[in-house]
Amino acid sequence: MTIVERIYQNSLNFPNKIAIVCNDTVLSYKTLWQNIVSCCRDFEFMFPKGINYCLFKNSQNDSFAIKYFANHLFKTINVPVDNDISDDNYSEIADSLDSLIPPSTEHKSIFADNNILFPDDNATADIMFTTGTTGKPKGVVLTHNNICASTDNINAFVGNTADDVELIALPLSHSFGLGRLRCVLSKGGTAVILNSFANVKKIFETIENQHCTGFAFVPAAWNYIQKISGDNISKFANQLKYVEIGSSYMSEESKRKLMSLLPNTRICMHYGLTEASRSTFLSFADDIQHLNSIGKPSQNTEIKIFDHGEIGVKGQHVFHKYLNNEPAVFRDGFFLTGDCGTIDSDGYLYLTGRKKEIINVGGKKVSPIEVENILNMFPAIVESCCVGVQNDVYGEIVKAYIVVNQELDNAALRKYLKSKLETYKIPSSFQIVDSLPKTKSGKLQRLELK
Amino acid sequence: MDNVIEKIIEIVAETCGVEKNEVNGDSSVGDFPAWDSMGHLSILNNVEEAFNISFDPEEMMELEDINDIVKAVSQKL
Repeated sequence: MTIVERIYQNSLNFPNKIAIVCNDTVLSYKTLWQNIVSCCRDFEFMFPKGINYCLFKNSQNDSFAIKYFANHLFKTINVPVDNDISDDNYSEIADSLDSLIPPSTEHKSIFADNNILFPDDNATADIMFTTGTTGKPKGVVLTHNNICASTDNINAFVGNTADDVELIALPLSHSFGLGRLRCVLSKGGTAVILNSFANVKKIFETIENQHCTGFAFVPAAWNYIQKISGDNISKFANQLKYVEIGSSYMSEESKRKLMSLLPNTRICMHYGLTEASRSTFLSFADDIQHLNSIGKPSQNTEIKIFDHGEIGVKGQHVFHKYLNNEPAVFRDGFFLTGDCGTIDSDGYLYLTGRKKEIINVGGKKVSPIEVENILNMFPAIVESCCVGVQNDVYGEIVKAYIVVNQELDNAALRKYLKSKLETYKIPSSFQIVDSLPKTKSGKLQRLELK
Repeated sequence: MDNVIEKIIEIVAETCGVEKNEVNGDSSVGDFPAWDSMGHLSILNNVEEAFNISFDPEEMMELEDINDIVKAVSQKL
């Protein structure tokens, strides 16, 4: 059963239960469902032959959620992107969607003989764009089956119920945040949507006022919250039933610290990719002897280590292809992730490295090539090389090594980069060097600069 | 006081990549795309350096807009 159908069922089973809270808007399951249907009616009127896909920027509110599920009901593929996506990346995504998804030609209706026509489990539900190694965005094609499987895997591990109220401040245009929304609404719980983690006072007030029992964040958000508020989160020790963490590395020390502040909370951490959402899970309390690992495979998921230690993932939640025909590597039915790891005798998976040179800035992935290409177009810069350097809040931040042929106008460079790149991709520091390390064939050796 | 607000507006404008006239005392976290969590930490770091002061976490949590920052800085000078 697709997520939108589960929302419909919830609207029948407990119509007055609160589904979404966002700023001053409160939607019950009944109103949420009515809004989804009303949105579909508008689509039917405007696009009688259907719409093949809907590319839209994340507004991080209830309207985003309504549109997302209305698209599912109208059998339109969702393509949510960040609100601050660069114009170049947006155009590139729009072009690839236009050229690769055939236009819709048949009349679409969501009702037939008074029955609601829900989408087919095997139909494409969403295309999520992620950072490719070459810097070009890659479209991860996910079916309803994929997203339902991951929703069920996550809910089974985290253990959230219809009674839970979860604060979602993670971007809804990313796999983690959108996944949380699906998990909560699928169970019949309440999702409280906030626009970001930036205002920590507002986060704490919301947890308090909305009586939140669940919270999800990336390690960088936790580092930030701790920096701004110290140990204050401990005042919710008897209120927060569960926390889900993911998307980047978290030190054992940081994990133990969070456990000490929230000793009664089920703290779960996942490892996953947009292509294979939440493939493993770790419970801090249950797996205390293995806190340095990324846990064990989620339910219905198989993990296998391939050549050179590469991690392979198999399961119903794993995608089948990229939109732009970028080759996805599958072997024996396992998706090869590009991450490397080992499995110990107790079955715990440990990450040992990455085959790819992607930089992980607080859970947001940055391709060094994309940043270098932009830097190299700046007049004074001859060539550049970007690497991830350690940062105590974000895990990694971007550092650029540059070769220049004239004096660098720092202010002009900053302004130029702000106009071309999303904020988190802009290098935090620059180092001018005489030359960059390269192989004999001229390929940049980024790891030598780390 | 005027110098303090002027300097803080300058720091916020520079950190967020916006013009100074777009920033005023009521400008707050989230008002500009670059005033996200990363931007907020940079702003607070730059303010600490510019005035040679430091904020503890309890204080930092109360700093939501420019007026809050100006008030906190003025109390430390």
